[in-house]
Amino acid sequence: MNVKASQENGSGSGGDVLTASGSRAGSAVRSFFERQGLIVAFVVVVAFFSIASDRFLSITNIMLVLRQVSILGTIAIGMTLVIVAGNFDLSVGSLASLTAVVVISLHDVIGPIPAMIVTLLVGLASGAVAGILVGKLRLNSLIITLGFLAGLQAITLIYTGGRYSRIVAPEETWFGFIGRGFVFGIPMPVIILAILILAFSIILTRTVFGRHVISVGGNPVASRFSGIRDGNIIMLTFIISGGLTAVAGIMLGSRLMAAQNYLGQGYEFEVIAGVILGGTSLQGGEGNIFKAFIGILIIGILRNGFLLLGLPYYFQWVAQWVIVVGVVWLDVASKRGKLLA
Amino acid sequence: MKRLISFFRRQPIWAILLGIIVITSLFRPDFLAVGNLLNILVQSAVNGMLAIGMTYLMINGYFALSVGTVMGFTAALTIGLQPLSIPVAVIIAIAAGAGIGAINGFFVAKAKVNAFVVTLGSFIGVRGLIYIYTGENALVGQNYDFFDFGASRVLGVPTLFLIMLAFAIIGEFGLRRTAHGRRTYAIGGNVEAAENAGIPVHRTVFLNFVLCGATAAIGGVLLAARLNAATPGLGWPDTNLMTIATVVLGGTSLTGGSGSVTRTLGGLLTLGVLYNVLNLFNVQSYYNLLLTGLVLILVVYVDSSLKTKRQQTFR
Amino acid sequence: MRKISALLTTVILMVALVGVVFAGGQQEGGMEAAADDDTIVIGHTANNVGIDSYQTTHDRVWRETVAAMDGVETVQLDAGGDVALQLSQVEDLIQQNVDVIAIWPVNGDALVPGARRAQEAGIPVIIVNSLIAEEGYEFVEGFAGPNTYQQGVNGAIAMIEALDGEGQVVDLMGLPGYVTAINRSGGFHDHIEENAPGIEIIATEPTDWNRAKATEVMENLLVRFGDEIDGVYVADDNVGIGALNAMREAGVAGDIVMTSACMFGEGYDAMEEGLLYSSNYQSPAEDAINAVEMAVAVANGEEVEFWNYFETPIVTMDNMDEFERPNF
Repeated sequence: MNVKASQENGSGSGGDVLTASGSRAGSAVRSFFERQGLIVAFVVVVAFFSIASDRFLSITNIMLVLRQVSILGTIAIGMTLVIVAGNFDLSVGSLASLTAVVVISLHDVIGPIPAMIVTLLVGLASGAVAGILVGKLRLNSLIITLGFLAGLQAITLIYTGGRYSRIVAPEETWFGFIGRGFVFGIPMPVIILAILILAFSIILTRTVFGRHVISVGGNPVASRFSGIRDGNIIMLTFIISGGLTAVAGIMLGSRLMAAQNYLGQGYEFEVIAGVILGGTSLQGGEGNIFKAFIGILIIGILRNGFLLLGLPYYFQWVAQWVIVVGVVWLDVASKRGKLLA
Repeated sequence: MKRLISFFRRQPIWAILLGIIVITSLFRPDFLAVGNLLNILVQSAVNGMLAIGMTYLMINGYFALSVGTVMGFTAALTIGLQPLSIPVAVIIAIAAGAGIGAINGFFVAKAKVNAFVVTLGSFIGVRGLIYIYTGENALVGQNYDFFDFGASRVLGVPTLFLIMLAFAIIGEFGLRRTAHGRRTYAIGGNVEAAENAGIPVHRTVFLNFVLCGATAAIGGVLLAARLNAATPGLGWPDTNLMTIATVVLGGTSLTGGSGSVTRTLGGLLTLGVLYNVLNLFNVQSYYNLLLTGLVLILVVYVDSSLKTKRQQTFR
Repeated sequence: MRKISALLTTVILMVALVGVVFAGGQQEGGMEAAADDDTIVIGHTANNVGIDSYQTTHDRVWRETVAAMDGVETVQLDAGGDVALQLSQVEDLIQQNVDVIAIWPVNGDALVPGARRAQEAGIPVIIVNSLIAEEGYEFVEGFAGPNTYQQGVNGAIAMIEALDGEGQVVDLMGLPGYVTAINRSGGFHDHIEENAPGIEIIATEPTDWNRAKATEVMENLLVRFGDEIDGVYVADDNVGIGALNAMREAGVAGDIVMTSACMFGEGYDAMEEGLLYSSNYQSPAEDAINAVEMAVAVANGEEVEFWNYFETPIVTMDNMDEFERPNF
């Protein structure tokens, strides 16, 4: 499943509509290396852990890792869109906590389907408010979503009064199937993730909306002059991000059949790290949803792998540091042809 | 009087601070108790240190997400290396912070990797370093002199606050009177113009990252003095939130090119007062978090509406 | 003119903001103004009220207990898991000149200076639920809470019985560095080492008291060790349910023995199904009442015992009928 986001002109390095890259051969070589950075990292990591632990490549473990990353992977899809359009969304962790709490707490009150609908609405609403502030009022997304990070977590705590939420009779509802079920041996969350990756990859690369997102991120001024309503586009990316985070919250709640208030704390960092690892440029205008998923997968593999090896969990953080900065550096370096500027 | 009004217009945060203090004192006179005010001062010392370096970076046009864990790491080093003697421990800790800042600065300035990526990476990675160093345990200081120093006062004012204030004054001086400060503003205002004017952009940016790391480290030292202990969880995950909120609230522009340490001080004291007031009125802690969030959003909104139209067309 | 109106809007909005936050956040049982001399004021700073239901229930019962008492008030502060904030809160409580300070430590080591400072200010301190480090004992009047080390020992005793003294177990700890987690795990490890040479602890991993994390950790352990795991010891039932999720999905739910250090409602249900072998009955309500009573006694200047444990009896499938299902 190799769906890539096609790139408009320019490499997204801050607004160059006219590319100044060298010969065709030169740029072909360059884009070959661009793709390789992530794949090299992936191969190295997988190879390392396969050699170090014989259980790593077992079907059970592979399914396990895939299911573990499906929550973050779902959020990463929305995050990719937001970053491609040139912004950040740091609120996803708190929103994941809130949506998981909402779906679980409402499940016994109004039933699973209505609870899921309300949860989706909560996610979309949060995304809409953020989208209006960032897209229409043109406020700085880093600070705004940082504010949402604090505010949404506070709302979660106030809503539950600090208590955790749970479903009283987990065996009597089908709701658990979303997070715990298997279809032909594949965990349900993985299937949901795969569908979403496919759908949004197509949206990003083959629809007008997708092209507009890329254009707005790559060069907002030029986009505006070509008649694209960039404020609306940005707002839509945030709404999608909020909606997908709500889906992730539902999957999370379904997995646990309960929800604690700080469930999603710290998610935003892992998701952004994964998306960046996947080659999405923070300048905007460039990104690939499938590669973002690979980035998330690498981080998930690190976590799983270190545990399999019996190494302390905190080693993975240092590994993340090295890999993320290293891969992005190589990516950037290969684009300009040299290591240092 | 006119100068005072003009000062308040340029730095509205001080007017807001004054307003909050006045209104609170009307309802709760014990707010003005000397002990309470001194508490606010000492409690803002650590965050203030972090905010000084962050101010430099934001004027330069960058954010740093790494200050939280750098602070935690240096706090752990300060306590853990105490057997070597306190001055040595402090020096090593500050060097470590500056070193991490240098790594960040190298990647941003020389390798031209996006600052968000670089500092996010070090934020996560340094957290790993803290755990590796402390082995998941809290480190407790053996030397009570250090702790007494942390609790001491000079002429009635907490020493830690005075240290932070001293650095703030040096920092403000550095921004206004040194070439480095001028370059920082210039680059933050317009990178290309700065380059064309012959300003050594790489060196300036690099230095600012080192400064940010060093001030975060000093913050860690102060924190260690205050707690006489260091836990592995220090600095994660919300410290950055507070630091950025402090600088932003003070009025330093988000797009770079303007701002000052004085403004940041205003933001620092305002946040400190706000939380103290909430405590005083026995407001449930969840609302503190809500307030922080709303403050951030509100300040950005106001900051943006005070800008000229021209500046708003660019991201 | 635009600047002034923008400034004015800001100030008005900020005041309105703070006003709304006040209105929303005012708590019961707290002080409206400086209390008169007859009222006892307890200053309470808790570890992290929103982290799980135990803590939330503890906080609620604390307030209800105080509200039901005449002449007693409490200032409830939540440290949110932040050691520096807790120190600030202790300082603020000293400043407010409360009659006694009750602290549920975020971290037992980092709290020592704060306790010392309170003692120097002449305000007695009691420690609630989770211990302060040994160096801090001289600064406080005593401890009111569960004997978490003993809970770990209980978990070990049950595990030895269930496994007949032979087998391999994993230990799912709470939050690293946190005294309760350390004690519960330590009690378990010590007792196993001294009394059951046939039992080997093959892994010890933290879960941060987070159910999702516990599930993930258990999943990974199951992959790593497969059917070599005979038993799992968990720091509390919330962690235990997380582990159970993983075991259920791997299809080994009934085969692995699980003992726990602290009972939650869902753990009780699991025990009924035979999936949890033993736990300790620790009621947050009793915990809170025990602590409040000690605080009031100390504030009144009465002599108190240093160690005020409340009972956390061991619960197994055999005697579980004697206990009510926990409501948290």
